This record gives sequence, structure tokens and C-alpha cells, in this order.
Amino acid sequence: MVQVLICSAGEGVPPEWVLMELQGEIESRENKPLPGCVMGDLHYTKEGIPVLIIGHHILYGKIVRLEKPFAVLVKHTDTHQADDVVEMGEGTPSTCYLVRALIKKKIIFKTRPKPIITNVPKKV
Amino acid sequence: MMRTADEVKATLETAKLKQEELMPTVHCMSFSESITSGDYCLLELNDVLCKHLESGKSLVIKGDKDEHAVLCSEDKTYDVKIADTSNLLIIIPDCKTPDQLSDDQSIQSLVHTQIYGLANNYWELRKCRPKMKKLKKLLMENPYEGPDSIKEKASEGLKYTIEDLLNRIQASERELMDHLHVIHACKIEGYWRIPDFDYEMKLLNHITQLVDSESWSFSKVPLKVCLEELGILEPKEMIEHCLDCYGNRYTDEAGEIYFALNEDKVCRAIAQMLLQNVVKFNLSEFQEVWQQSVPEGMTTRRDQLKGLALMDLRSRPETIFLLKVEDLSEDTVERFTSLFTLRQKWTEADISPYIQDLCGEKQTIGALLTKYARCSMQNGVKVYNSRRPVS
Repeated sequence: MVQVLICSAGEGVPPEWVLMELQGEIESRENKPLPGCVMGDLHYTKEGIPVLIIGHHILYGKIVRLEKPFAVLVKHTDTHQADDVVEMGEGTPSTCYLVRALIKKKIIFKTRPKPIITNVPKKV
Repeated sequence: MMRTADEVKATLETAKLKQEELMPTVHCMSFSESITSGDYCLLELNDVLCKHLESGKSLVIKGDKDEHAVLCSEDKTYDVKIADTSNLLIIIPDCKTPDQLSDDQSIQSLVHTQIYGLANNYWELRKCRPKMKKLKKLLMENPYEGPDSIKEKASEGLKYTIEDLLNRIQASERELMDHLHVIHACKIEGYWRIPDFDYEMKLLNHITQLVDSESWSFSKVPLKVCLEELGILEPKEMIEHCLDCYGNRYTDEAGEIYFALNEDKVCRAIAQMLLQNVVKFNLSEFQEVWQQSVPEGMTTRRDQLKGLALMDLRSRPETIFLLKVEDLSEDTVERFTSLFTLRQKWTEADISPYIQDLCGEKQTIGALLTKYARCSMQNGVKVYNSRRPVS
């Protein structure tokens, strides 16, 4: 039987991270690869409303406490230590995922993004 | 490539937002260098599982190639499937929410936040019944027939430890242990074995005969004397195991252990013994033989046979035959199909014992019948039949 173990990453309680939910997709300008790219600025109004500025858009959202929290699982790669290789069942090594973090709230942006108009090109 | 405070300010101006209306902290988000290379995923939990992980406990996902995967905690089992989201999920490690931030305007701060990952699906869990049928099947490969059986002496046959079973059954440890108890399995020399039914009846017979010869009350059967008197005939552990299966253990004020024999369980076992070797039994003959076969002082009742035998009250003569719910399919649709193949129309009273175990959490028999069967009236009685044509 295939068995996948899900266990804590180390000592203590896993850290708490946050989820952000957006409609649609994110693309980078000029199709630059995403790693290292700037994504946007996240502000909060004094009332605590999240405001996200991505590219030429502003989005207004809200903070939601998740009824069903998430765990961020990371596949555990084998290291040299013998006890890191998890063997189960009929002697076949199985996969192990570590609980990297828990997510209990999300910032959700449901409204349509508002475009930011920077300048109106003059007609030639 | 990191944004500066001036760039943030400029962006705010372009967006026509006023810093005074905002909290002083801004998170400047960027994609981490390793965003596309990580092997990560999101697992949707509930409060119980979340606390479970927070306390350092583990979970395991298990399944054979031909099974759907399940996730097990130490005491519950869940179906796992991958759910897609239409929205994009962005995983951010260091992001504070307003309740965690100060709104002191004099402390403007810019937090560079790296996005750990993106996801548009997650593992979704749904609590389910553990898949227990395999357990009995495995243990029945090599039932225990007593220490004197040729098989035992030759040490033949497959035997399983609890670890072996956990590696083969899609259930949590707690659910597995509970079910081992239900099917009368016991641990012999470190292996979980199920007593062969005839052997179990032999043990029960020794006990009930002793109760009779000693004129004990069924509700006060002393363990010590049983072991002394019957320990010469069969292993003491097996005598005690049989008492645990068919009675309730208790201790009196003097600290002595007694068992209250369960009349229903004893009568039911004897019914099984009578029915297992026949296709059908004439109902009135059966009732007579059955009552005569149970220990004197015990009373047989039809409701003791729920989920074990089915009576046909429409045939002449009326008959009864063995139908054990545990022999039926674990799959709901398959179960209903086989029940409707056996008998076209069922009353709720007759079918209930054969579908009770299919009910999900908070699901009633009524709801199950509404979903999987069609209702009609027959001679003023509500009956259920198949929703689809059954051959």
C-alpha cells in the first residue's frame, strides 16, 4: 500500500502564514519570468480594508477567517540521515510531506480590479 | 529590484490614494526566486486536524493502486481528492493583517514580503467510513481454530500484527482497534487472529454449560472459576476472550471480576450456527429449534436477528435464511443493488439493519432511502424498491 506521511517540520508549532485570493491570473509585464519580480503593494485602510495595487489596477478586498484552515505541505527530500527515509508497508520507501505552515486567514479580492488611469494620450 | 518608499509613495499618488487614510504599514510583495521550483501543495483541514498538526502529531495518506486515497489521523478517516479553484491562491509567509499592526502614523514602515507559492488547487478532505471489509477478509485467511489444530501446530498460514494491518487497511488506528473488537478478533502471540466460528461456539458452549452446572445467574459469571474449570479444556486467554465477546465485564466490591452474559449476543450467535449450513429454514421450525438450542433461561426474539438473517413472510411456509450485513458490499450503490436483486421490495423495518452502516455522519436512514431508492405503497404499507431496473 502506498503511504504518504504528513508530519511536522520540526520543533514547536508550525508558523502561521496568510493566503491571498485573486480572481483571474497574474502575468508579468513583457512576459518576464515570475521569480524575483515585483508583484504589488498591499495597503490597509484605517478601517482595516486591504487595498492591493498591482500594475495598473487597484483591488479592494477583505480579510476572512478560514472555516477550514490550510496546511502548506512541502515534499521532504531525502537527506543522508538514515532515519529520514520513511519505510512502510512491505519494505517500500514512501513519500513524506512536512507541514511547513498553517493558514488560518485569507485576504480575498473579489471585486473587479479598477484600472489606474495614469495619463490620457492626446490624439495626434 | 526591491521597491523603495518613494516608489510606494508615487504609486499611491498615481492611484489617488491618501496615505492619511491608510495604515502606516505597506507590504511590498514580490515573487521569491524559488517560486516555480518548490514541491508544495495546500491541504484543507478542519479545526480538529489543525490542532492535531499543531500538537506535533502526524497524518498519513494511504491506499493501494486500485483504491481511492484516504487520509487518517489517529482516530478518523477522510476521503481525499484534489479540488480545483477558479481563483488564484497566493501563499505569503510574512504578511501581517490589520489586527496585528499599529496604526501609529508616525511609524511608516515598508515590509518586503516574498511570495512563497501559487496554487489553483488543493487537497480536499471529506470524512468517510473507514474501509473495514478488508480487515475481516485478511484475518479470515487464517482463522484461529485453537492451539491443538493441525494448522496452528504446523505454524502455517498468514498472520498479521497491528502494524501489518495498519499498512493494509484504509483506517485510523483507533477505528481499526474498534473494529477488531467488533469482529471478535484477539491478539495471540502478538498477532491479531479471528477465532473460527465453530471454535468460538465451542468456547461459548463450555461457558454456558458451566453456568448451567454451577447454577450461576447469567449476570454474575465469575472469571476466576471459569478459568480454573475450563482452562484445562482450552487456553485461558481464549476463555476470557469469549467472555469479553459475549458478556460485559465488571468488578464487584470485593474486587472480583464477573461477566454479565449478553442474552442477545448469545442467542444471535446460536442462530447463526443454525442457519449457516442451510439455504433456508422453515421459520416456525427454526424458532422452535432456536429456542431449544439457547441456554436454559435465555429467551430468543426475532429482533436479535437484525442484520444477520432475513425472514420471508410472503412465502408458504414462511422461511428464514442467513444474510449477514458484513458480507455485503461496502459501496453504497453496490449494496442497494444487491439488496434489491435479492428482494424487489423492502419495508423500511426490513432494510434498515442492512443499510444502517452506510449512513454518513448526520445522515438518517430516511435520507439514504430517499437518495438511493424509490418509495411506493403496497397494501397500505410503504415499501422501497430500486431506482433503476434490476435484473
